[in-house]
Amino acid sequence: NNSYQLSSVPLQILFYVNGIYYIFYFLVTLAMIVYKSQVFSYPDDFLAPDLALLFIMAILEVLRLYLGSKGNLTEEEAPLGLSLVITVGSVILSVYFLVWQTYVLKADVIINAVLLFTYGLESVLKVIAIAAFVS
Amino acid sequence: MGGPGAAAMAAALGLGAVFFLLLPLRAAEPSVELAASAASPAAPPGIRAAARARTRSRPAPVTDVAKLCVCDLLVAQCDVNCCCDSDCSAADFSLFTTCSVPIVTGDSRLCSQKAAIYSLDVEADPPERIFKLIDQVNPSIFCIHATNYKQALSFSSPEMPASENFDQLLKQFGNPSFSAEPDSWNMNTDAPNPSDANETYRYKYGVPIQTVDAFLRLPSPVVSSWCSDVNPAGFLVNQATKCTRSVSVEKCGNIQAVSMLFYINSSILAVPKSSQMVNITVQSIVVQSLNGMRTLLNGSDVLRLPLILDELCINIVLGVSYHITYTDAGEIIEAAASFVLGAINKEVLSIQQSFEISFTQVNTKPVPLSGNPGYVVGLPIRAGFRPQGSGIIQNTNKYSQLTILQSTSNQDCLAAQGTRTPILFGYNMISGCKLRITADMKCQPLTQTLLDLLKGQSFPEYVASFGNSQAQDVLDWVPITHLHTSEQSSCQIPVSLEIEVKWTKYGSLVNPQARIVNVTATITTTTAKQLPSGRERTIPIISSVVFTDISSPAEPGYKAWPTINAKLPFDFFFPFV
Repeated sequence: NNSYQLSSVPLQILFYVNGIYYIFYFLVTLAMIVYKSQVFSYPDDFLAPDLALLFIMAILEVLRLYLGSKGNLTEEEAPLGLSLVITVGSVILSVYFLVWQTYVLKADVIINAVLLFTYGLESVLKVIAIAAFVS
Repeated sequence: MGGPGAAAMAAALGLGAVFFLLLPLRAAEPSVELAASAASPAAPPGIRAAARARTRSRPAPVTDVAKLCVCDLLVAQCDVNCCCDSDCSAADFSLFTTCSVPIVTGDSRLCSQKAAIYSLDVEADPPERIFKLIDQVNPSIFCIHATNYKQALSFSSPEMPASENFDQLLKQFGNPSFSAEPDSWNMNTDAPNPSDANETYRYKYGVPIQTVDAFLRLPSPVVSSWCSDVNPAGFLVNQATKCTRSVSVEKCGNIQAVSMLFYINSSILAVPKSSQMVNITVQSIVVQSLNGMRTLLNGSDVLRLPLILDELCINIVLGVSYHITYTDAGEIIEAAASFVLGAINKEVLSIQQSFEISFTQVNTKPVPLSGNPGYVVGLPIRAGFRPQGSGIIQNTNKYSQLTILQSTSNQDCLAAQGTRTPILFGYNMISGCKLRITADMKCQPLTQTLLDLLKGQSFPEYVASFGNSQAQDVLDWVPITHLHTSEQSSCQIPVSLEIEVKWTKYGSLVNPQARIVNVTATITTTTAKQLPSGRERTIPIISSVVFTDISSPAEPGYKAWPTINAKLPFDFFFPFV
């Protein structure tokens, strides 16, 4: 039965785990930005970009997971490819929160590292799935 | 389709992301202001050079923990128990008992920072100092790993004012308060309101009266007796000055300060910093001739300028008297000047000019005050009569309201009729004369004459308690109490009048005002024995004024004793209550 089903089960599992983890990531990052703004000197010029990028990242993530999941389940490569492109943006944003944020705490480093690892794994699986769909 | 190409590129990017994880993640060093570099005293050179370029004179901050020592206070000397002091030798360390500064660290919120630990090894003989440079790790997961915001972890050094940024710094910090965050973060800047351009100023006491070009000048002697023209007249400050000016007949028309035009030329501003002007009108001109006789001129609206006539220079100003009328809102509405013009001849090298200025409130008759509100020492006491059912009426001459006898040179009471001197507040006075009694003097006329002599023609009944008491406020006036000490005998002649004025300090302790509380006039009489004919006697007649301060001393106020407010707890007697 497996030869007729090209959808990648590990990819789907990873999407599901990614979704749950991202909710956790978003809430934790938002809470830490609030904590930093209270404890450290966090002027508005620096706070606004950080918050804006966090919300953009959330929107991109929802889009990415939806397109990826749909593409994987309907075995179409177009949504999956689009999801892969959006992953690039998410990776850049994650790197921003890892390196270029105003205050990078150790907790930030940890959760962003896990997110990047997840993105990397997802990308590999997406490429494999696209290759399977195309051929 | 570009799918495989795009897929390959995406795969590469994904692998790149994975490689990111494999790289050791380190704190971004150039962005951390606090240098955590090992043993080198220089902070990242970029920051240091920029700081040096901006602050030419301020020394660079020390950020190396190995070199930082807060207990090193004495320069080139060893501080006691300061283990990080570089001026201390090993012999000094052996005498220490403890280290006052055991550890010097950077910001403890960083995940990893350098720390210098100083300790004394007391086991060794002699005791020696141990210095260790370690990396201190903050175990919390909320420690700062990196920061991209330069000012986050250190105090920013303030800008050094230079000619470029002075205006901006003044705008930012020149107010009584300023916010800690830079100006660009706030929406409203607290610049001083320009709205007080609409607020009008008013003259206040002592403020120089402004004219169109500068100030109303009242020439006065400054250091020597020569006139200085830069003395401004103050609002409501009545002044009278006399000074000397050098003149000569040749320069008659050239000296500005002896010409009338100089004193009435510029108009006075009605209100400071406004454009309302009040012209100075000429009220009267008195011409003084060479021998000192003064004549009042009839038409006084003609400007008389100095000119040379028959080797004399006439129409030079010898005296100016300004009269300014003001409203109670502090505006000047009228200004008038009265001149005394004189003439000089060739021998005169300097003249004395006298200047005077007085202020009158509009719609009031100038009632001379002796203080506002309390009496001022040296001003005459105000006194008057009170007819039935009306207010107080006073003599318009303020120096004639309450007077005592004035001693004359010949000291004969009956010859010196009429000269009296005003009683000035705060000045105790005594005066007298000698009375020669002959045998044929009758008692009653003598008594009456002496009473007239002592008390004067119109001895008042009421004395104002404040220097500015109004005539219509009868309760502000104190009645004069008369006391007669006399013995019952045939002929009593008054020999002394003693006026005792009791006054008290009234009002605030900082600025007490003098207030007259009681005035007592005591007449002492003596028996005039009938003299055998041909003999005469001389009796001294004395009148005096004494001012007594009866103000009660200020009472200190003490705070209440502190009370012990101890209460037992509610359930102190637990099992029984």
